[in-house]
Amino acid sequence: MQRDLAFGTAALALSIGYYWMARLIPESQLADSIGPQGLPTTYAILLGALALILIVRSLTVTVRQKLDTAVGIKADTETSRARRATGTLIIGILYIVVVPWLGYLLSLAGLIFATTRYQGGAVNRQAAIVAVSGAVFCWVLFVLLMRIAQPPGLWPSLL
Amino acid sequence: MIDALANIFTTPIGPAAFAGVAWGILGGALPGISPSITMALLLPFTYGMEPTIAVVLLASTYVGAEYGGSIPAILIRTPGTNAAAATVIDGYAMKEQGKAGEALGISLYSGFVGGLFGLAVLVLLTRPLSRVALAFTPTSYFALGVLGLSVIASVSGDSLIKGLMAGLLGLMIATVGTDPVTGLNRFTFGSPELLSGIPPILVMVGLFAIGELLAQSGEGGSQKAAAPSTRIRFPNLALWRRIARPQLIGSVMGTLEGIMPGGGGTVSAFLAYNEARRWSHHQEEFGKGSPEGIAAPEAANNTVACTALVPMLSLGIPSSNSSAILLSGFLMHGLIPGPMLFVRSPEVINGLYAGLLTANIAMVIVGYLIMTPCLWLVNRPKPYLMAFIYAFVVSGVYSIEASLFHVGLALGFGALGYAMRYFRVPLLPLVLGVVLGFMVESNYRRALALSSGDHLTFLSDPISAGLLGIALVVVIGSVLRHIGERKRRGPLEPGADVTA
Repeated sequence: MQRDLAFGTAALALSIGYYWMARLIPESQLADSIGPQGLPTTYAILLGALALILIVRSLTVTVRQKLDTAVGIKADTETSRARRATGTLIIGILYIVVVPWLGYLLSLAGLIFATTRYQGGAVNRQAAIVAVSGAVFCWVLFVLLMRIAQPPGLWPSLL
Repeated sequence: MIDALANIFTTPIGPAAFAGVAWGILGGALPGISPSITMALLLPFTYGMEPTIAVVLLASTYVGAEYGGSIPAILIRTPGTNAAAATVIDGYAMKEQGKAGEALGISLYSGFVGGLFGLAVLVLLTRPLSRVALAFTPTSYFALGVLGLSVIASVSGDSLIKGLMAGLLGLMIATVGTDPVTGLNRFTFGSPELLSGIPPILVMVGLFAIGELLAQSGEGGSQKAAAPSTRIRFPNLALWRRIARPQLIGSVMGTLEGIMPGGGGTVSAFLAYNEARRWSHHQEEFGKGSPEGIAAPEAANNTVACTALVPMLSLGIPSSNSSAILLSGFLMHGLIPGPMLFVRSPEVINGLYAGLLTANIAMVIVGYLIMTPCLWLVNRPKPYLMAFIYAFVVSGVYSIEASLFHVGLALGFGALGYAMRYFRVPLLPLVLGVVLGFMVESNYRRALALSSGDHLTFLSDPISAGLLGIALVVVIGSVLRHIGERKRRGPLEPGADVTA
């Protein structure tokens, strides 16, 4: 129920922020009776109301239920999981940062290799071959076969 | 029809249908590549082709793509297309139970049944049904959107409040971009990339694919993916009988939604899933790997692949992005859809019918052939599999509009998906909100503008009143079921998965 409390609080904060931004949308001469702010503000109010219900409900249940020691152990596990998930997310962010420079093939091979390693795969020749062949496979599929351009990187300007 | 069938053997329609289906399955299976993008990529190549062949190639691509979307939905919890989002629920649950082959077999067979049903509707009812599409006004479209949103109540898992909150989050995401009436920018923060809104497929890839990757990376441990099945399995006689009813439900939903411009495969798939659960003798299995939960949405979205052509052929109104691309194919070859097309170019219509029949058969053959390698692939060691999915997803997302900003957004939605899993908030209501938000808002405001702000317009229009009445019944039924289930089971157990 602590999760519901946390989620309810986050949703309440979001609804307040969203409501505030919706009110900042300028008036328009072309506006209809509802206006561009109409539904967004309604959504914000509804989300806020539901968030309050969730918060009150979770507080009521939390008071009734004593937290046992297992919750502490579980919280440690959850923190460790969240840390690992953040690491995977960072690999994706790094890909976005380097791909305009290194180009699609190299960056993608790097992403495959880094993810494999991060997920517990060994650093060996097989991992390198999988990374390179995976990147080449995607390049053939997207760029050659489907003719969808991927970031070329700085290579064309250097050649 | 006999003329149409003769075309299969006397013209290159057969090879064109096979090629289109294979291309469509490939595009549909790639997260981020929608059926319309897959068709658009093919459009320039059809320029020099004979008109009938070009049209068959494009229509077969649509058929293949609608099916292809279910492959990643079942195997990696990532809907390849918007319409495959409902298939994720029970498809992935079956895969987790080591029944990936069975799930893919049900999906393929149901897609085939839905496709044939849709083709029959297309051939027999194109002209009469087109009148229904003409009767649709903004009021009716709004009611149609509300009907779609009413499904939120039944896909909210154990917490209706959290489901409603997720649905509202989806509706909020749908407000990003240009206002549908005034053209003002809303929530774009000065970013030109957000002016046209956030593509729903981007949200889905983020929530499902990247969110699942993040959740899996937190698990660690196992080096092997948990899917012992390496062969596709078609339903046996008992299962065949069991999924007949959801297939019929899906086909009817697909027909109704397909002939309405704006309906589309996504809404029909969710409605079909909801109705299949309502009429099922095994309601408790839904969400935990029910074969019926795959059969209904898959039959629905493959029916739509044919019935969406009804308003396009008879009135020249494209009911979806994909049928708009097909319309471009017609126009490119000097064919103007409408009643006169049936008189002036009957050979094209006959060829299209024959091509769609061949495409549905080709879907089974090509689908069967590629399934074994797909299943082999998902049984690779987990680190390699996850790395490959990550590479596939970032490439696919970039392909939508050649934008790294979109890749960043997808990663953001991945983090949101992970957080929603952590807080045990269902994902599907958010998806429904994103998909239907624009449709609901734009038509609500247009309807009110046309009626001088009179809300009674939604009840005075018979189609709108009927759809809103059905939506009310769906909501009341779902709420009563929620209350009944909670009374039976008691409060939600810690760790229960409601994220679907």
